[in-house]
Amino acid sequence: MSQVFSHGRLRLYLLKLLDESPRHGYDVIRLLEDRFMGLYAPSPGTIYPRLQRLEADGLVTQSQEGGRKVYRITDAGREELARRRDELDALEREIAGSVHGLAREIRDEVRGTVRDLRQELKQAAREIRREQRSENRSRRDRGPDHHRWDWYDEGLDGRLSDILDRTNRAVRRAQLTEAQVRECAAILDEALQRIRQTLKTGPGRPRDH
Amino acid sequence: MASWKLEGSGKLTFDRVDRVVVGTVEGAVSVVGTDGEPTLEVLELAGPPLRVRHEDGVLTVDYERPPRPGLLSWLSGWGRRYRAVLSLAVPRDCRVELRVISASLMVSGLGAPVRARAVSGEITLAGLGGPADAETISGSIEASGVSGDLSAGTVSGDLTVAEGGGSVRAHTVSGAIALDLQASGGRDIQLSSVSGDLTVRLPGASDWQVQLQSTSGQVASAFDELALDRTPGRHAAEGRLGAGTGRLRATSTSGHVALLRRAPETQA
Repeated sequence: MSQVFSHGRLRLYLLKLLDESPRHGYDVIRLLEDRFMGLYAPSPGTIYPRLQRLEADGLVTQSQEGGRKVYRITDAGREELARRRDELDALEREIAGSVHGLAREIRDEVRGTVRDLRQELKQAAREIRREQRSENRSRRDRGPDHHRWDWYDEGLDGRLSDILDRTNRAVRRAQLTEAQVRECAAILDEALQRIRQTLKTGPGRPRDH
Repeated sequence: MASWKLEGSGKLTFDRVDRVVVGTVEGAVSVVGTDGEPTLEVLELAGPPLRVRHEDGVLTVDYERPPRPGLLSWLSGWGRRYRAVLSLAVPRDCRVELRVISASLMVSGLGAPVRARAVSGEITLAGLGGPADAETISGSIEASGVSGDLSAGTVSGDLTVAEGGGSVRAHTVSGAIALDLQASGGRDIQLSSVSGDLTVRLPGASDWQVQLQSTSGQVASAFDELALDRTPGRHAAEGRLGAGTGRLRATSTSGHVALLRRAPETQA
């Protein structure tokens, strides 16, 4: 998950905000919106993980005050900030000095956020698909019909559309003669015949739907 | 009509701009909303001069003679470069129309309609209140904090929406579409793909009428309320979540379709 915090510049800016004073998460978000001249407000969902990450790295601490979390910079955080002061100043000048600097900052921030989100959703989708597959498999194992394999689970379904797809492309690319067309049709027929044979002779009966 | 010919980097300001039209080729175009004076900044320019025209509140930035005769000759290295990196600050209620080849596009902080077209360029939309319409062939589209209705299309590029707030209509051939949605509020979400995966994440308590379908991809849902149908050739999940006020439809031919549930926000 290291990719989530790849945008180091915002991280630096978060440290600067907390160096000015300890702050609630919502204050941080509001100040970030000001930084982007009100054009764009990063969401809590993207800011809290970063604050947590800073905490994990020992650069900030947080405490509960009046039911809300308050973030404070640590000595290690101040050191990091001092070490990268020039970088931060240059960045601030660029943002304040031109439309371009501001636009680039917003673009980088949005790209970073969106890419992290894309990764996160992709990962979560993969997990839920895997869960669903193993659930189906265990249901099948428990069920009365032990021999019944779900073709869908075994990826046959995908294979089928993949083969159709590739065949289609190959055929479209080629300049076919009539004999070739007939031969290709025969191959397909034969494949279907053999699949039917396999289904007839296998231990599992044809499916009941 | 006021008109300029820019040969290099520079800056222009204008009195009133309520519509901006940009037609460039490669490089980058950024448009941000401002309360100040409308401004055009050209940061880099290589190739023929840029033509800037301003008339009746319409600001147009393009080339007098764009690459001809069309895309193919330009791709085959017909000759000159047409690179321009430019940024515009315009009033927040300014309409924006951008049309480029490979330039990356960024639009932020506007309330009026935005239209962005690219061939291979990436499109970034951030903090938009009005309707946005984005299309690119192979570039990706990234949107964050778009509260207006979004219409997006790609051929092979990915589309990702963080904090989508309006209706979304999106189509792709082989790109992946991923949406992270807030509360439903009677919105209409329609996603479709040929082979690209479709992934939507909803808050735990959601009000949607859901219909997910894939011909040969896997359909998975984190919401038990949805009925799964897994006959070969039609994998689907359908049903109502909560009051079902919003409508969510995701349809793919061979891509996977997944509906995820967002964990409650870790709050401070």
